[in-house]
This record gives sequence, C-alpha cells and structure tokens, in this order.
Amino acid sequence: MKNFLHLHFIFIDYDLSMATNHRRNIALHCTNIVKIFNSGEAEVKALQGVNLDVYEGELLMLVGPSGCGKTTFVSVVTALLGFDSGTCITLDHNLATMSDEAKTAFRGKEIGFVFQAFNLIPALSAAENVALPLTIFGTNKTMAFSHSKEMLKAVGLEQKEHFLPGKLSGGQQQRVAIARALVHQPKLVICDEPTSSLDHKSGQVVMELLKKLTKEHAVTMIVVTHDSRVYQYADRIAEMEDGKIIRVGKTDEKIL
Amino acid sequence: MFEVAVKMLMHDRTKYLGLFTGIGFTAFLVTFAMAYFAGFMTRGFSLVSENPSATVWVMDPAVHSTEATINMSDASLGLVRSVKGVSYAVPLYLGDATARFPNGHFQSFQMIGVDDAILSGAPKTGNALSAALLHMPDSVIVDGGGSSGKLQTPIHTKDMWPYDGAHLGVPTRKLQYGDTLIINDKRVVVRGVSSTIPRFPPRPLMYTTQSNFKRLNPGENRYITFIMVKGGKNISASRLAQNITRQTGLKAITSDAFKKETVKWFLINSEDVGDMINMVILAMLVGFGVTGVMLYMFTYENLRQYAVLKAMGASKSQLVNMVFTQAFIGVIVGSGIGIGVCALLGESVASADFPFRMMWFAPVLGFLGVLIVSITAAVISVRPVLSMEPGIVFSQR
Ligand SMILES: Nc1ncnc2c1ncn2[C@@H]1O[C@H](COP(=O)(O)OP(=O)(O)OP(=O)(O)O)[C@@H](O)[C@H]1O
Ligand SMILES: [Mg+2]
Repeated sequence: MKNFLHLHFIFIDYDLSMATNHRRNIALHCTNIVKIFNSGEAEVKALQGVNLDVYEGELLMLVGPSGCGKTTFVSVVTALLGFDSGTCITLDHNLATMSDEAKTAFRGKEIGFVFQAFNLIPALSAAENVALPLTIFGTNKTMAFSHSKEMLKAVGLEQKEHFLPGKLSGGQQQRVAIARALVHQPKLVICDEPTSSLDHKSGQVVMELLKKLTKEHAVTMIVVTHDSRVYQYADRIAEMEDGKIIRVGKTDEKIL
Repeated sequence: MFEVAVKMLMHDRTKYLGLFTGIGFTAFLVTFAMAYFAGFMTRGFSLVSENPSATVWVMDPAVHSTEATINMSDASLGLVRSVKGVSYAVPLYLGDATARFPNGHFQSFQMIGVDDAILSGAPKTGNALSAALLHMPDSVIVDGGGSSGKLQTPIHTKDMWPYDGAHLGVPTRKLQYGDTLIINDKRVVVRGVSSTIPRFPPRPLMYTTQSNFKRLNPGENRYITFIMVKGGKNISASRLAQNITRQTGLKAITSDAFKKETVKWFLINSEDVGDMINMVILAMLVGFGVTGVMLYMFTYENLRQYAVLKAMGASKSQLVNMVFTQAFIGVIVGSGIGIGVCALLGESVASADFPFRMMWFAPVLGFLGVLIVSITAAVISVRPVLSMEPGIVFSQR
C-alpha cells in the first residue's frame, strides 16, 4: 500500500512544506490530538497524537489504511466528536472549550460536509436538499432557494432541481451533496471518501468539481480518500497511520 | 423545518398510511368503546328516561339504582303528596313475574305497575292503540325491553293450552293484541306491544295497572317502589327533593341525579359492566401499544437523517420539534379518521338498535388517548435522536 502511494506523489519534509507555503493563514491547527474509544472492555486508541496544520484555501487529502483514524480525525476537527487530549483550533475556534450548542451552531455556519453515502434526505427534492443548511439556519425560503438553484447550476444539475434523490444517479447525488456542502458559504468543507461509492468517471467529475469550487469559493477542503486515482487533485497530501500523521507531502505531477 | 418534517413524514406512503391507520384504529377503538359504554349506561336508566315529566324520584333510602330496589309502605305516597311544592306524585310498582305462554313455555318479565287513573309511566304502543287499553280488565302491554325473540307465542291453535304437556319448539309468532298469558294462575290479555327505550341488561317488560299488579302479585305488604314527583313552577327540582327528604325521611333525588346514581351503581355492582370495561381496556392497551411502537419505529428508522441534520447544524430543539410535528400530524389525521369512521358507523349501528351513544366524552377521550400515547412515543423516540453521535453520518449505509 505504501509503495503504491510513493508511485503517485513524493513526500516532502513537513518543515519544508511549511516553508514553501510562506506565511499563509491557518484554517486548522491540531497538536497532539488523542481520541480513545471505550467500547465496553476494549479500548481503541483511534487518534494517538495527531499534529497537522491545514491552510486556508488549500485542498488537503488525508490518506491511509483502513482503520487508521481518518474519519475519527475529521469528526474531531468538525466538533462532531469530542477528543481526550491535545489542542484543536478550527477556524479560530478552540473546540475543547465550546459548549455543545456552540459546536452545533458553529458546524451549521462554518462547515460543509460531503459523505461517502451522500446522505441526502430522500423525501426532499435536489433543490430542497441543497437549501437545507440555509433552512436550518433560518434563512427565508425565497432566498434559500435562489442560493440553492445557483449552487445546483454550479454543479451542473440545474435541470434536476425537482428530482428526489432516489431518481438521481450516484454521481448526481454526490454533486447535489457538494452543492449542499457549499450553499451556505462555509469556510471549511470536509469530504469523507466522496468518490468511493462512484464509478471512475463520476469520481473524476466529482473531484474536478471539488477542486474547482475550492478555488472559486476560496474554501479550505479536507478530502479523505482511498482512491489513488484522485491524488492529482490535491494541493497537499497527509498520510495517516495508526492514529498519527506520518507524513505530509506535495503532489508533483511531473514526477509521474 | 416544519416543512421538512412534514415531507419526511409523507415520503413513504406505506409507512405513513400504516401510521395513520394505526392511530386511527386506536382512536376509533377508544371512541367506539366509550360510545358503546355510554349507550349501555343510558339503557341502564331507561326507566327514568321514559318518564321525563317526573323531575324528582322518591325511594327507600337504601335504594341507589333503578335496578336493585326495595318497596316503600303505602303511606309514603300520602306523605310525599303533602309536601309543599309537590304538584303531582304518582307511585310506580316494580316486580318480577313469570308468564306462561299458551304452548307451556315460560318467560320472566319485569312487571311495571302504573297508576290506574292517569296511567303515568305506561308506554305508547306501536300500533297506535293508546295505553288507555290498560283500563280493560286483566290487560297488559308487553315490550321486548332490548331483548329479542322472547315474546314468541305459538301460531297454531293445536299448540295452545294443550292437554298433553308443553308444546315447545313449535312454530311461533310475536305476541299481539288479544293474546293471552298466565301469571300466578291468572289470565292476562296482551293489549299492545310497545317498544320503549331498551333496557340494560335487556329484559322483557310487562306494563299493567296497579290494581291489576296487586291482583297478579297477591300477598305482598308493600308495593310502591318509586314515587314520581313533579314540582310546581316556583320550586327547583333539587330544592323540592331536599324538602321531600326532610319532611318524609324518604330518599328523594332529581331525575338527573338518579340517572347518575344508577350509572355509578352499575359501575360498582354489575359484573357485566366490569367485564366490559376490562375488555375495552385490553383493546385500548393493544391499540396504544401498536400506535406507540409504530411512531417509535418511524422516528428510529429516520435516525440517520436526523444525524445528517444534526451534523449540518440543526439544534436539539429543531430536531425535537420535527419529531413532535410528525407525531402531532399523526394524531390529528389519525384521530380525525378514527373518530370520523366511528361517528359514521355509530350512526348506522345506533339505528339498528345497538347501544351506541356518542356523548361528548367519547371523541374527547379517543383524541386524548392517542394524543397521550403519541406524545409518550415521541418523548421516547426523541431520546435516541438527541443522544446519537452525529458521527454516524460518516458510516456507509
Ligand atoms: N464509535 C466508535 N467506537 C469504537 N471504536 C471506534 C468508533 N469509531 C471508530 N472506531 C475505531 O477507531 C479506529 C479508527 O476508525 P476510523 O473510522 O477513524 O478509521 P478510518 O481511517 O476512517 O477507516 P476507513 O478507511 O475504513 O474509513 C478503528 O479501529 C475503529 O474501529
Ligand atoms: Mg472512514
């Protein structure tokens, strides 16, 4: 697995990568994050001291073997999951000191999600699904739907606004999910295996879209993936193993 | 979010139809049971209802219903009549009589003896003949009293008063004008068949005059079971009842109070009513269980969707509102269907002589029943919604 990764990108020393990024603003700052699951008697150390900085406006890919803690990590940094020790500062919010209510409100305002299982609400049309983050926030309906339609257009699905998710292909559903993740103009978008449920072609379309929208909307994006075919879309790649970030590198297509 | 909750509820037709039907069924069950029960109880005090002009009923102080009675002395009538404010007071005799039919078959009747002069308490007969017929000698008016097939007399003369023993199981027809029966070795003639308010428990009734009543039930010391009183214009029924009690030492209560007491008596003393209540409670519990479980399942199956909303920033109160919105819609639609069907069905069964009386508390209890169950189910099912880790959104389907 690791050799396989090496074929596609080279890892550059962590400090070096910092240097080459000059003095960019930091969207996510994690030091020594530890997360332990206590499932009955067994104790799982899912995160064992994660250190990672993610810069504003970059598309960072998080890769690593199954069970190494990728999902746990993105859950922690988005305040979906608490952690046991360390510091996590997401978009200038120190998560350790926030109340549950504040975390919920923070997620609703600042973060967008794209899931492997799409997670669209089956009862709602594409446009209604996209409008959800605004609906939750309490934006008025006309406004919410005009933004929703704009986003659907941006992902190329303006024709499908009235379709229920069940009537859309996997790739189309994921594009609706991307529109939903961006409609409220969040600063950080988390994508957990966005292409794993899709065929190669739809996966490429989705990644291209993600890359394009990251730049257009100036959002920071973390993409968790197993899919080596999409590494080319990353600004940087962080590799995780056994609950730790072991390397952070930059892709260089010329090497290939 | 209200709209989102409604859309989630209405998305899967099988599920929401199941939910509405379940809630509707329970509402129907409760409402119907209550109306049925009210119907029965209403029949319990039919004797009071069929004498609407009597506003006060006087009885022995030990009597608490129209059902279990003991008689008062003949002197009580005079005492009651002497109370100021009494405009008229007529006695009513109640007794049991076993009548032999011409073919030898016998049947017990409740015998009701009405005042000879004014026949107060006698029913109207169905065939346009007046109760005045009771003035003819040995006359009675018979009534099914909610029972069926108990007024059958033989068709053929060869089956009447035979010398070779009873002719049971022969062709029969319903009693009619001119038929004869024998009570205590005395002949009575049927002068009419009435259909007054059915009784609970059902029983054949036999109305006759008080002089006839005494002739058919000789040897008793006391005959007056009730005295029916109407007061003058200037006195209220309850006031009059108080006056009668104070002056005579007899129990006197308004007809409304007597109806209530009779219902209470049935609730406490009647085994049939107890069995009926148990059945109804059992049925309601089943209905409540089904409703609760369905509602819980509905929310539970949507848990992942709630997790998605939670991840996207939906607050606890928004999620709670959604769950309760769905429960309330279920209650409104379901109880609407249930109570509606009950009212329609009740209309038709009530006209088919079925004890059914849609009193105000029947639909109210039907609605409250499902409301309470649904709120309970919503409270229980909202807990996993609130306590779930929104992180489950990352898991694959
Ligand atoms: N809720 C939980 N309770 C107990 N253990 C958990 C829980 N969630 C995750 N784990 C464990 O934590 C470890 C990290 O899991 P995680 O899902 O973060 O891995 P992952 O890198 O996302 O894997 P995959 O690539 O398969 O999605 C695993 O050993 C997993 O079994
Ligand atoms: Mg994972």
